[in-house]
Amino acid sequence: MLSYIVRRAAGMVVSVLLVVTITFILMQLIPGDPASVLLGPNATPEQIEALKRTWGLDRPIWVQFYKYFANFFRGNLGESIFFRQPVLRIIGQRAETSVFLGIMALMVVVGLGIPAGVIAAVRPNSWVDNSLLLLALAGASIPSFWLGLMLMVLFAGKLHLLPSSGYTSVIATGNIANLKNLILPAFALGFVNAALVARTARSSMLDVLRADYITTARAKGLRDSVVILKHALRNAAIPITTVISFTFASLVSGAVVTENVFALPGVGSLIVQSVLKRDYPMIQGIMLVVAVLYVVINFVTDLTYAFLDPRIRYR
Amino acid sequence: MGFAKLILRRKTLLFAVGVLFSLVIISVFAPYFVPYDPDALRVVDRLKPPSVNHFFGTDHFGRDIFSRVLVGTRVTFILGLSIAAFALVFGVPIGVLSGYYDRLGMVVMRVIDAIMAFPAIILALALMAIMGKPGMVNVIIAVGMVWAPRMVRVVYSSTLSLRENTYVEAARALGASSARILVRHIAVNLLSPVIVQSTFTFAFSIMEVAALNFLGVGIPPYVPSWGGMMNEGRTYIIRAPWIILFPGVFLALSVLSFNLLGDALRDRLDPKLRNIV
Repeated sequence: MLSYIVRRAAGMVVSVLLVVTITFILMQLIPGDPASVLLGPNATPEQIEALKRTWGLDRPIWVQFYKYFANFFRGNLGESIFFRQPVLRIIGQRAETSVFLGIMALMVVVGLGIPAGVIAAVRPNSWVDNSLLLLALAGASIPSFWLGLMLMVLFAGKLHLLPSSGYTSVIATGNIANLKNLILPAFALGFVNAALVARTARSSMLDVLRADYITTARAKGLRDSVVILKHALRNAAIPITTVISFTFASLVSGAVVTENVFALPGVGSLIVQSVLKRDYPMIQGIMLVVAVLYVVINFVTDLTYAFLDPRIRYR
Repeated sequence: MGFAKLILRRKTLLFAVGVLFSLVIISVFAPYFVPYDPDALRVVDRLKPPSVNHFFGTDHFGRDIFSRVLVGTRVTFILGLSIAAFALVFGVPIGVLSGYYDRLGMVVMRVIDAIMAFPAIILALALMAIMGKPGMVNVIIAVGMVWAPRMVRVVYSSTLSLRENTYVEAARALGASSARILVRHIAVNLLSPVIVQSTFTFAFSIMEVAALNFLGVGIPPYVPSWGGMMNEGRTYIIRAPWIILFPGVFLALSVLSFNLLGDALRDRLDPKLRNIV
């Protein structure tokens, strides 16, 4: 187990280094130099030179690269051009909304996806199975922002059941009722991924249900619910958890658009604003935070499997 | 496989092919037969609900949504095709070479993994910001760069398994050069996974393009596109939901059809692909 952890950890470090390198290279591709972009067309050459010196842009590229790395590992992702504040601080302020939205969407993913997959697998090829499959396929084809807008029309516009947009911090105000604002976005975001989880849950449950120990369990006279939930679902859990961990990237992607639709002050709407305002340090900071998070989550998932299924450690 | 399911499969496939065929026809000929000029402004007719005169209603400038949705099909399909082509042109050679040469593969796949650590839309947004201004070519590059690594992965894993085949060994024993083996024995057999992956690339990329247009960072707003129309309709969403409803239905139908087609092709061409694509 230890050697497995060490190997995976080394892989994770390499990925993080590559992610940092890629963002550095991308930022070098910006046409024109950042100093004049920031200062605007009316800046004098002296002002541009001065700013370049403060940012170290007048140094050779490898010095810049080294500084970039050093700053990254010190947790310094630079300063936002628009907010004139450290990038990491702004991301921190926006994180609450995105984290809560993500958790609630994940609840939708698990709460809809797994039961749908299990029910479909228990009665394969029945009308329930076929309609669930079709629904899952449709779910995977609907753009989450469109679903969000349609839910907004229905539940906020016509039925007046839920708020249509905005969100105020639960942590700052202590008002849990604010989470109501995240119900529609979470559903829009979660539904698409639930479809994916349902498909995986179905196929891995089908595999497991064919196993001999399921026949044995049934032969022992165990109730159907016990066989399905205790014997089958537990063993089908690994592929299902894999897909759920994959949904991280897809949830982040979806959140970018969903936060925008529902005017939620999260990291997703922050990156869109930053793109429109050409706030490059901010864009770069969000890219780094999200990608590193992704790498770390993958690492943790891998370790979880190795823990759940000892065979994986020896591969 | 049950009989009912087989029919369902065929029916869904029939549906998918039918939808895609109609959409291709629409994308080619729409500008010639739509009832209204998609860009003509008629303020008297603004925000009209769907009716006999305007099948899908009108937007805040009085433009006919039906005409705009149909004309928008073209730009969607051109972008989807170009992005799939971009992914092919870069993904296939890199994937084959990495799969065939172990050392190269080790390095390339690490980089690919790192690129894939950036969620799709975030990478596309960053690339759009770096390239500076909205436009078709920039969208193709931005979204293509997101999907090419996924193509590399598929081609890479297929090549890994293909090169272990006895016929590859036989060719090598006969003194065939690496280039010959790559082209005549491996690339030819990559056709099925590549076709299947291209279908999915098409589906995902039109969804992503719509998202970029919806966020206002894709193609310029004066070109009628489904995502752009949904963006413009947001202000009027409660008063005139049809502005958003119809482009979304067309988008979802296209993506669904490509997904269905991809699934069917995969099962037909090579069921083993299930684990790769």
